[in-house]
Amino acid sequence: MIRYSNFILKSVCLLSLIYFTYLMTLITLQYIPVKFDVAFLAVKQNEIEYKYYQIAFFSHVYTSIFVLIFGIFQFSKRIRTKFKKIHKILGGLYVFIILLVAAPSGFIMALHANGGIFSKLSFVIQAIVWFWFTLMAFRSIRKLDLKSHLKFMYRSYALTLSAISLRLFKWIIVSTIELPPMDTYKIVSWLGWLFNLSLVEIYLMYSKDWKKKKSTISNQLGT
Amino acid sequence: MKRLFIFALLGIVLLGCKTEIKNSEAKIEIEKGTEIENSRTDEESQTQVSEESGNEDSKLDDPLLGFWVGYFEKDDEDYEKNIYVDEGYYWNRENKINISIDVVKDSLVFGHSVVAGNDRPFQGVIIQENETYLFRVREPGDDKYDGEFVFSIENGSLQGKWTAYHNIEIKNRKYNLEKKYFRYDPNISLEQSKEYVNWYEFVETNEEVEIDYDEFEEWISREFASATDLIYKINASNTVLTKNEVENLKKGDLTIIRNTIYARHGYSFKNRPLRVFFDAQSWYIPVHTNIKDDFTKLEINNIKLLLKYEKNASEYYDYFGRG
Repeated sequence: MIRYSNFILKSVCLLSLIYFTYLMTLITLQYIPVKFDVAFLAVKQNEIEYKYYQIAFFSHVYTSIFVLIFGIFQFSKRIRTKFKKIHKILGGLYVFIILLVAAPSGFIMALHANGGIFSKLSFVIQAIVWFWFTLMAFRSIRKLDLKSHLKFMYRSYALTLSAISLRLFKWIIVSTIELPPMDTYKIVSWLGWLFNLSLVEIYLMYSKDWKKKKSTISNQLGT
Repeated sequence: MKRLFIFALLGIVLLGCKTEIKNSEAKIEIEKGTEIENSRTDEESQTQVSEESGNEDSKLDDPLLGFWVGYFEKDDEDYEKNIYVDEGYYWNRENKINISIDVVKDSLVFGHSVVAGNDRPFQGVIIQENETYLFRVREPGDDKYDGEFVFSIENGSLQGKWTAYHNIEIKNRKYNLEKKYFRYDPNISLEQSKEYVNWYEFVETNEEVEIDYDEFEEWISREFASATDLIYKINASNTVLTKNEVENLKKGDLTIIRNTIYARHGYSFKNRPLRVFFDAQSWYIPVHTNIKDDFTKLEINNIKLLLKYEKNASEYYDYFGRG
C-alpha cells in the first residue's frame, strides 16, 4: 500500500513538474524572435534600453529553461545508476549554465527588479545563493562527496524551481485574495524561493533523523 | 491520509491552473474617438480647445442656446429591458443626453444631440407661447437610431419626448433637462456616485454582443471587473503619473483612471459599463464623439503609460505567466 501510494505521489510530482516546465517553455517562446516590448519587457521599458540589461535578460531567459529541463532527469535513480554518462553530461551542463550564465544574469536583472528594494534584495540574495549552492554541489562531486553533492543539488534545484513556484504563488494569490499586482510581486519574490528552500531543508533534516534512527535500530538489532 | 491530501492538492492546482500562460484574448478596447495620433503636435490641440470654449461663452446667457443635459429616460416602463448585473446593480437602459441648441433663426432651429457615443444633427421649428418655447425637431433619418424630438423650454428647464422612426427596442424616450455649461477642467475628480461594474468582463462570449446603444443580446454571469477607491485619488489629467504609481493598480482602476481623462473632455462613451459609470457623475456632460485632438501633452503621456499597464494586467494578472 505504501509502495503503491509512493509511486502515485512520485508520478504526480513528475507530471506536474513536466506540465509546469512546459508552461515555462511557452513563456520562453514568447521572447522568440527577440522583441523588446513583449510580456515582461512591456513593464521593463526603461531597463531594456541598456545594452547590458538586454544581454542579461535574453541570456537568462534562453538558458534558464534548459537548467529547468536538465534538472528533471538528474533525480532519477535509474539514470544516475544505469546511465551515468547522461547524468554527468546533463549535470555538467546544468552547473555550467547556472554558474556562467543564468545566475550572473539573474543577479544583474535582480538589481533592476520591479517592486523596489524589497524585491530587489530578494532576487539578489537568490542569485547569489543559487550560484553558491550549485558551485558547492559541483565541488563536492569533484571530491566524490556524494552526500554533500546530493544536499547541495537539492538546494540548487529548489531555487531553480522558484521560477515555477513564484508564478504559481502569484496565480494563487491573485485568484484568491486578489491583491494588486505589485504587492503580489513583492510577496512572491520572497515566497517563491524561500518556500522551496524550506521544504528542502525540512526534508534534509527529516531524512537525516530518519537515517540516524534507522541506523541506531539496526545497530541495536545487530548487537 | 497525508498522501491523499497531497494528491488532492496537486490535482486541484493542476486542474485549476489555466493551461495558457497568458490571456491571449485580452484586448484593451480603445474607442475610435479617443485614439491618440502620434503625428499631431501639441500646439494645435491647445488652440483648438480655446477656440471652442470661446464659442461656448457667447451661449452662456442665452435662454435657449447651449447644452441641455440630463437622462434620456424610457417612456414606457418596461422592466424586461433593464440589465440586471448583480444584486443591487442594474442598468435601466437610460443614458445621459446632451441636446445642444446651436442656432435659432426666426422660427427655425438647428442643433445636435449627443448620447451613447452618437452625435446626431437635428433641425426643426420653434414657436413661442408666452414664456414657453415649443420645439419640434427631426434627425435626418439615415441612422437606425434617428427620431423626432418634441420639447418645450420653460423657466430654464427643457422637457419633452422623443420617438424613433424605426422599430428599435426602446422606441419612446422622455427627458427633463437642465442647461449646463461645458468647460474642460483637468482638476475634476470623480465623485463616489455609482460603482464601476464592467459586466462585459465575465460575459459568455458565444453570444453576440452588439455595442450600439439599443441592441443587446447578452448573458450575464456573476463576477465582474470593478474598481477600487484609488480611482477617486488619482487624477491623470493634472498630474504626471509615474511607473511606481501605476504598476500596483488593478485593471479596473487603470481603465477608469484612463477613461476619466476622456470624460473630462466630454467624450460620449459607446462602451456601456463605462457610460453607466460616467453618466452618474454630476459634472459629466457628453459633448463629443471625437476627442482625438483635445488631449494635453501630459494626458497623452499618461494615457500611453496607463494603456501599457492595462494591457499587461489583462494579459497576465490572473495567469501563470507574468509581465
